[in-house]
Amino acid sequence: MNCEVCQLKELEVEHFEIREVLRCILHTILFHRALGLVRPKDVDLELFEITYVQCGDMELERKIDEKIDQFIDRVEKHPNKKNQICLSFYEVKNKHATWFTNKVERLFWEHWYINLNVMQHPKTPSGKSHHSKLVVDPGVEARGARRAALEASLRDVLFQIIKFVNEKKDHVPSIPNVEGIPFPYEITISRCT
Amino acid sequence: MASYQEASHSEPAKMEQIITEFFAKGLHIILESRCPYVSSRNYSCEQVLSSPSPSSSSSSSSSFWPRDKWFNLSLRDCPAALENIDLWRQSNLEPMIIDVILVQRPVNNDQIISSSKSGHARNFSGKERVYYSSDNEEFGSDTKREKIIERWVLQYESKRSGVSSGSKRSTCYSHILFNKLILLMRSLYATVRLLPAYKLFRDLNSSAQIRRYNLGHRVSSFVEPFTRIEEADMQRFVFTPVDTSCGRLCLSVLYHSSVLDVSSEPSTPISPQVIQEYVGSPLAEPLRKFSSRPMSQMSPASAPFGRRHSWGYDLYRASSPLLNPSPSPTYSESYASVSKQRSRLPPASLPRQLSENTPAIHVKNPSFDEYWPSPTFTPSPSASPPIYIPGSHVSNVLLRSESAPVSIPISSRAGISSLPNNQMLPPSPPMKATRSSVVKTDARSGLYKTSSTADKLLSFEKDEVGRMSRVESSSNISPPKSFSRSSSRFSYQDDYDDSEFSGPFVVDDDDMTDLGTRPGSFDQPGHPSGSREKGSLFPVRKSQHAAVGTLVQMLKKAPSLHQDISVTSNLLQGSKHEMPKNSNQDPDEISSTPREQQSTSVNFASSGLVSPKTTAGALEELCEYKEMKNSMLKQGVEVPFHIA
Repeated sequence: MNCEVCQLKELEVEHFEIREVLRCILHTILFHRALGLVRPKDVDLELFEITYVQCGDMELERKIDEKIDQFIDRVEKHPNKKNQICLSFYEVKNKHATWFTNKVERLFWEHWYINLNVMQHPKTPSGKSHHSKLVVDPGVEARGARRAALEASLRDVLFQIIKFVNEKKDHVPSIPNVEGIPFPYEITISRCT
Repeated sequence: MASYQEASHSEPAKMEQIITEFFAKGLHIILESRCPYVSSRNYSCEQVLSSPSPSSSSSSSSSFWPRDKWFNLSLRDCPAALENIDLWRQSNLEPMIIDVILVQRPVNNDQIISSSKSGHARNFSGKERVYYSSDNEEFGSDTKREKIIERWVLQYESKRSGVSSGSKRSTCYSHILFNKLILLMRSLYATVRLLPAYKLFRDLNSSAQIRRYNLGHRVSSFVEPFTRIEEADMQRFVFTPVDTSCGRLCLSVLYHSSVLDVSSEPSTPISPQVIQEYVGSPLAEPLRKFSSRPMSQMSPASAPFGRRHSWGYDLYRASSPLLNPSPSPTYSESYASVSKQRSRLPPASLPRQLSENTPAIHVKNPSFDEYWPSPTFTPSPSASPPIYIPGSHVSNVLLRSESAPVSIPISSRAGISSLPNNQMLPPSPPMKATRSSVVKTDARSGLYKTSSTADKLLSFEKDEVGRMSRVESSSNISPPKSFSRSSSRFSYQDDYDDSEFSGPFVVDDDDMTDLGTRPGSFDQPGHPSGSREKGSLFPVRKSQHAAVGTLVQMLKKAPSLHQDISVTSNLLQGSKHEMPKNSNQDPDEISSTPREQQSTSVNFASSGLVSPKTTAGALEELCEYKEMKNSMLKQGVEVPFHIA
């Protein structure tokens, strides 16, 4: 079985945007891999004019939020560095169990790499109020443009996921008759080199 | 809908069923996110019963209704999809073309769009059905513009060669096909929410505003292809075809990426429309009109009074049948600046969409409050009853204009201590205050008991009031002048001692009685020794309510203005010589015949026109009055009636 890898387009996000962006991307991927019976749930992003879909699994939602929290902590500890989240799907292969070992082999059949470049805000110079006011105005406009660009990039990433899911179907294992996500998965956080 | 497990066991039957459900599910997913009023995202009865989570649409909440679980995607039934699928249940070979149509209402069309739960079908042919929601009917077929913003094409391309039924391989095919279609449907479900048209759908579903556009759909098996130009403006997204044993299933979409411009067009909030109905009614013109003009001369704080006029008028209209119904374009214009001039929107005509999909929006009262920033401004309605003294049209005019300014913040000034800030008074007290002011002026002059309460309201100074009433009765120009003078007078309150000016709202019962029996003797505004004023003019400080009641009684007993005007003119002539000729109008006014004055006043009132007064003119008039007063004092003019 082939292991397909999808490197998603890198996104430049601000600290407060991390949670929404990661939720959107992770849930979209998992919605396409939760191939058991699901009741889809539409979620409208607050920061962007984008609606993504969750598979309605509360446990899944909780796990994703935990991973996002870990990612945010890592970003805070290691600022100015590119970080990566990897969502991987695997099959469990039980090797021959012996008296001393009971190895469980994971056969990954798909990796999704989400690349985020978290921007750090320059500290606003402490000074007179009128000076800070002058700094804010052009920043607001630049932020608006940046936000629009990020929204377009995020939409591109979502379409990238959809296209990948459509183009590559053969490597997906057979779907058991269960609800929610029939395939085991893991989410890892790594640092981009 | 039969589940996959309940399907026929033969492989070809399974394949055929899977292909049929491909069309059905695809149609379901597309229409569910493009039909604003049949979408399961709406707040439907199912959601009511199942207490949905706020962030979910076709969510994981339990449902009392059967859900379509084909391809492991559990969705609520979509009536629009169910109505359109019959053809493709009969034959899988026909392509399914779903056009999502944007229906736009022109900007000039003020037609209200009301939502409808169900659409209607117009059968064009046996293989094509066009579905529009009833909102499109509201648009009007002649004025709406339709544009196909999305065209979805679902098609089964069959191959001649295929796998024979019954083989094990074909069994795998159906299973593989089913799994691949699961992935395809997931992608379709996510894609329809990422395309631009979804934003329009979401705005229509959730917005509490009246939009100038709506979404319709058309499901057919054949359509006229787009021209090259049309297709050049559109983008295409093609889902990877899914192979079957006998062909392949194709799904693609052509869509416009520029439809977002439509959603950014200004929409009409419902609340303002209802407010306009309330505010912009032309029936309350007289009050509005006069209040609009003087407002320019008044302090800014009095400006809202003008708005309040129409409201007050509406409130008191039933109780004031004598109100002059003449329209007041000036006031209407002033209202236009406040709220949009739109057609009336009765509450019943609020879009059903709102009632269905959005929380209840209480438009009238809150919006009314929104446009009426000063709900305590009520002097105008309170002032209106006094206006309707027969023959006192001029005074009526004055009174109306005056009432706006009952910005009688003047009342809060020294000398008018009997009346607290009028502008803060609820409806009835100002009314009483107004009447008490009338009573006060009547106490000074026999004229006032018969002249309109406007005269009384115009000035807090007995002198000024007298002069103003004199001027009002003598000339068609005077009333506005008087009013403006009084207005300006209010501004220049400091010129007078409090002792000379204890406010118009202090009423003495004795005074009122005496005034009622005396002929309209012209005021001796002059008089005034401070003690006299204190003792006589404002002997008693009564409550505002009592003062207003007394004033009302006075007005009821007051003889017609006609008589008073004649008397007033006589008095004016008597003191004419004392008046400095600062204004050329005054002598003319004084010399005019009572008939002319009356007719003028009548014409003035009937026409509802008030010449605008300037502050400078008012000041001049005020100075004239002062001089008249002083001259009369010097001459020792006897007061024809005793002001007790």
